[in-house]
Amino acid sequence: MLSNGKAVFALTLTFAVLAPAQPFLARHCQSCHNPNLKSGNLDLTSTQHPPATWSKVREKIATGKMPPPGLPIPSKAEVTTYLATLPAAHDAPLSTGPGRVTARRLNRTEYNNTIRDLLGVHIRPADEFPVDDSGYGFDNIGDVLTVSPMLMEKYVAAAKKVSRLAIYGETLPAQPGVMTRLMARRSYDGGGLDNSSTYLPYSMRGALYGSYVFPVDAEYELRFRVMNLREDERKTAGDGTRTRRASLASLTPEERVARLRAIREGSTPEALRENLAQARVAAPPLQVQFAVDGKVALMDVIEGTSLYGYDRGEFVARVPLKAGPHSFRASFPELADLEDPRKHLNPDLRRKVFVDYLDIAGPFQPSAEPPASYRHIFVCGHPRGAHQAACARRVVTELARKAYRRTPSVQEVSGLERLVAMVRKEGDSLEEGVRVALQAVLVSPQFLFRIETEPLRASTARSIGPQELASRLSYFLWASMPDEELLRSADSGDLVKPAVLEVQVRRMLADPKSSSLVEDFADQWLQLRDLDRRRPAPERFPALDDELLDSMRRETRMFVSAIFREDRSLLDFLDAPFAFVNGPLARHYGLPGVKGEEFVRVTLDGEQRGGLLTQAAILTVSSYPNRTSPVIRGKWVLENLLGTPPPPPPANVPELEDAKTGVTASMREQLETHRANPVCASCHSQMDPLGFALENYDATGAWRTHDGKFLIDSSGALPGGRTIKGSKELKQVLRERSALFTRNVSEKLLTYALGRGLEPYDGTAVDEIARSVKAGDDRFSTLVLAIVNSKPFRMRSGVEAGGLKP
Amino acid sequence: MKSLPRRAFLRGLGTAVGLPLLDSMIPAFSHAATTAKSPCRMAFVYVPNGIVMDLWTPKTEGGMGRLPEALPRILEPLAPYRENLLLMSGLTQNGGRALGDGPGDHGRAGANYLTAVHPRKTYGKDIQTGVSVDQIAAQKLAGQTRFGSLELGCEQGIQGGNCDNGYSCAYSNSISWRTPSTPNPPEIRPRAVFERLFGSAEIETDPAKRARQEKYDRSVLDLVLEDANRLKVSLGGADRRKLDEYLHAIREIETRIQSAEHGKIPVTPAIGNIPSGIPSNYIEHSHLMFDLMTLAFQTDSTRVATMMMAIEQSNRPYREIGLSESHHGLTHHSGDKDKIAKVAQINRFHVEQFAYLVNKLQSTPDGDGTLLDHIMLVYGSGLADGNRHEHHNLPTLLAGRGCGAVQPGGRHVRYADETPMANLFTAMLDKMGVTAEAMGDSTGKLGYLSI
Repeated sequence: MLSNGKAVFALTLTFAVLAPAQPFLARHCQSCHNPNLKSGNLDLTSTQHPPATWSKVREKIATGKMPPPGLPIPSKAEVTTYLATLPAAHDAPLSTGPGRVTARRLNRTEYNNTIRDLLGVHIRPADEFPVDDSGYGFDNIGDVLTVSPMLMEKYVAAAKKVSRLAIYGETLPAQPGVMTRLMARRSYDGGGLDNSSTYLPYSMRGALYGSYVFPVDAEYELRFRVMNLREDERKTAGDGTRTRRASLASLTPEERVARLRAIREGSTPEALRENLAQARVAAPPLQVQFAVDGKVALMDVIEGTSLYGYDRGEFVARVPLKAGPHSFRASFPELADLEDPRKHLNPDLRRKVFVDYLDIAGPFQPSAEPPASYRHIFVCGHPRGAHQAACARRVVTELARKAYRRTPSVQEVSGLERLVAMVRKEGDSLEEGVRVALQAVLVSPQFLFRIETEPLRASTARSIGPQELASRLSYFLWASMPDEELLRSADSGDLVKPAVLEVQVRRMLADPKSSSLVEDFADQWLQLRDLDRRRPAPERFPALDDELLDSMRRETRMFVSAIFREDRSLLDFLDAPFAFVNGPLARHYGLPGVKGEEFVRVTLDGEQRGGLLTQAAILTVSSYPNRTSPVIRGKWVLENLLGTPPPPPPANVPELEDAKTGVTASMREQLETHRANPVCASCHSQMDPLGFALENYDATGAWRTHDGKFLIDSSGALPGGRTIKGSKELKQVLRERSALFTRNVSEKLLTYALGRGLEPYDGTAVDEIARSVKAGDDRFSTLVLAIVNSKPFRMRSGVEAGGLKP
Repeated sequence: MKSLPRRAFLRGLGTAVGLPLLDSMIPAFSHAATTAKSPCRMAFVYVPNGIVMDLWTPKTEGGMGRLPEALPRILEPLAPYRENLLLMSGLTQNGGRALGDGPGDHGRAGANYLTAVHPRKTYGKDIQTGVSVDQIAAQKLAGQTRFGSLELGCEQGIQGGNCDNGYSCAYSNSISWRTPSTPNPPEIRPRAVFERLFGSAEIETDPAKRARQEKYDRSVLDLVLEDANRLKVSLGGADRRKLDEYLHAIREIETRIQSAEHGKIPVTPAIGNIPSGIPSNYIEHSHLMFDLMTLAFQTDSTRVATMMMAIEQSNRPYREIGLSESHHGLTHHSGDKDKIAKVAQINRFHVEQFAYLVNKLQSTPDGDGTLLDHIMLVYGSGLADGNRHEHHNLPTLLAGRGCGAVQPGGRHVRYADETPMANLFTAMLDKMGVTAEAMGDSTGKLGYLSI
């Protein structure tokens, strides 16, 4: 709230003091912030505001957040003059302290990644932890990450499980066998399977895809069966009439067996051939393909009628795999090019052909080597069972060093040694002793939290040490612990040298682990994590399946990743002329020429598509399940691209009438009614036109020219009267505000990097980062380096200063 | 009676058909059924977005303060249990109101519901409300059961800082608050609840080995506590608060281990692979959670539970009853009869599921009666009318006899307007044998709970 009843009684400033600022306010502010409109509940024709309000006004103008898009941008000289006219009293002295990051508990992603990198085990215990709360749009904010007793129980259980796995490896079955059966949902809402979210996504084209964590280096058999429910509608009866044969699935098992037997036994070879020939016409051969980690492991063909499907049995691919997660996909590549995937559905809505299940069997000939984690831990290098007592100290010291991400204290090491000794005294092995020590390490606050300590009651800011810097870097760029190279560089103290630091940052960005910047930072920045929650309504969009939704997410991730990895300009987010699509997504967009299941990079002409705003994932996440919302889309742009979220709406505002939209009144007419109210208009005049410009994209991001019976009008008047029409002109407006956009990305990434919300005293640091980014052609790596070198990232305020003392 | 094999039970967890199996499973590991004096329990079942009050509050009385013969439409599914019901009108949660903080009624309603403390408006740091009534009870009863409390839910909390006009999602995701700044987020996965109650690790069968492992576990906790206490001294400000949270949680686990040593653990069933998924059918999901709540009470694993039928301001559609619109969206109906009818449909649907729990408790023998005799079970919402975001005259229903401390008698009590809801909480705590003179904005203890 910029002002409220209580604040008015605070110190106010007189007209006389403000007089020099009046021309600027009149030209740029008062057309909205006047007694009638009171946009943002602020009237700037009045001088009666507390200093806090004036300092906010100053900040908005200095950073370009005001005036809003559409209005002329004040010249640099004007802004400088305006800021200079403000007396010191207006400008509440801003501290320039670096702030203080609260001890950060590892969030779920960080916990899983850290366990993986610390021990080389591949389980993901944190998937079972409660969801982390978020603050400031991210789930890695120290202040918001709490520890409930339930979470602590999970930590304790995970420590036990992980330590056993790391030392003793997986308990393997004596004989290889089926380890799991994976199935996909059979329709949008589950389709008769007992409802459980452990099922893989629903693919209208019959594919089955996902990933699985394999326990040990070994060979595995991946066995899947294809269900073939193509109805044999062309079968002609003896008298020449065409009959429709019931789908096999509608028969009882006994009837099915009888049917099969009749065909096999009761037929002459000629009749059998004839039968098959007919079946081939009715259900032409279809290619089936199975890929592991994107590489084709099996290719075959299914053909014939539904009978044949049952006769066919399982397809089996035997592949050697390393322990850890691997992705798989069984599919029918030709179906990717279906014009409408619903053509693949029978009248009863079941798919004609689909992968019924995937069994994972094994492990065949598992490696006899101790697990990788074993070698990670027993650094002495002795073979299993031959460890010497002296190893214990080395082993636990090294464990604590990596797990605590710093040199452990003598006390810490001796505590762990005591545990090992206690276990030995009980008659258990040294390995068991180390396991118990590891269990302790994994529930220690030193592991679960990232704690930066300083001398008691230090009241001044300090530079963080090289080991603390290494942790900040690795959790920023990898969402995981530092690797050995980074730890060494920190241990030697070299890391704080600018040249060394830059080399390390660039090395880390090139590492595959930096994909966390896409999956954790960008997913949250762009609200992609809401995609499942905001999935389009199946009643309204019957051709959309889980797979298309996954493809949308994947497209945006690949796009973000390209900007990061190719070190492109941040402004490419707004209108880069390229995209990543596969066949189904290309058809969703109406892009010609892309076929098949694989994603390819295509060049765009920028007319209908280009940049984040015209991507289906973004357009879907900023819509209601059953219709578009220019308001949500406009708000999405203001909030996530420009960093200027509109103030919250007053209570008791009704939502639009879904039933009427597109039938009795266009969306636009309804919104116009809404905006007739001046209170509403003060914010909606900013949001709505931005959203209207995207009205040619429906609630799933597909192009449209009509909404119901109404022709789409994608034009809108921005505050100040300038009219824009369509996504191209919207992007033009955003381009004009490019400094605001890059500043916003900088603020978001800095928030994520620090794990705390930004405060007014961070303004100077953000200014500096913005300057560096601009000087570096807005390249992504420039932004990362500017953040890494910024004061809030490199320093820490003292305890009593509470972040305010310089 | 021979108990059913484990597999039958586990399969039962996945599907509706298996549910009755739970009952035949119980004797294998139940304590409570044979204990002479049954302990008293307390549970809260929360529904978001308010209720259509016209179809909840009876317009007439059945005489002597009793509910009328024909229950209002939303309450109808509870008709068979009317003698165990006490409907309360007039209770208010003043802390849910704006009080100068502007919009954000949903965020406040959730955080305020069981704490009766006006939450601080923030979507980042410095989250603050009060300690919730279930946690006050849990902390006082600590050590008597293996778990202080159980937090259940049917909808995943939202991850994203700002959920309601500047209020953190933590406020609308949780009604249970262990400290003013630490919410207890509900667990929504049935398997996770079961494993929490009865363990997941393979049980070591060799008693000597098992004893050794338990000794190691204790030593691990001792060492960790020692380290954490040393660390705490060197920390200041917010860091120190974070470590306090950690220490509290560790100590709670120690307490559990100690009570295990005193033989308070019921015989736990061995656990195999319960499917870890969340049933997408709401009826199955909520019934499973209610089964687990019943199981926890029955085995005296805890005496305090909360259940969120959905998070506050939930946008969940209820396709199970043919509604594809968001629940929250519908409640802002601006008088549209159609939408009001749909909201009422959702309200009634929730009550139907609640009736399943009441029935379950009533048919589960416990000591000299049933579980329903030994519980105070509150059903309600932090908003009355969801359209207008009202925080007074909250829909509140109490079921159960609280070990004789409550005499519901199928009554409807109309309390004076603006009676603090917190007065109900202090009265309940009192009847639980947990003395709490005041909490939140309470002004006393609510009367008329018994005749």
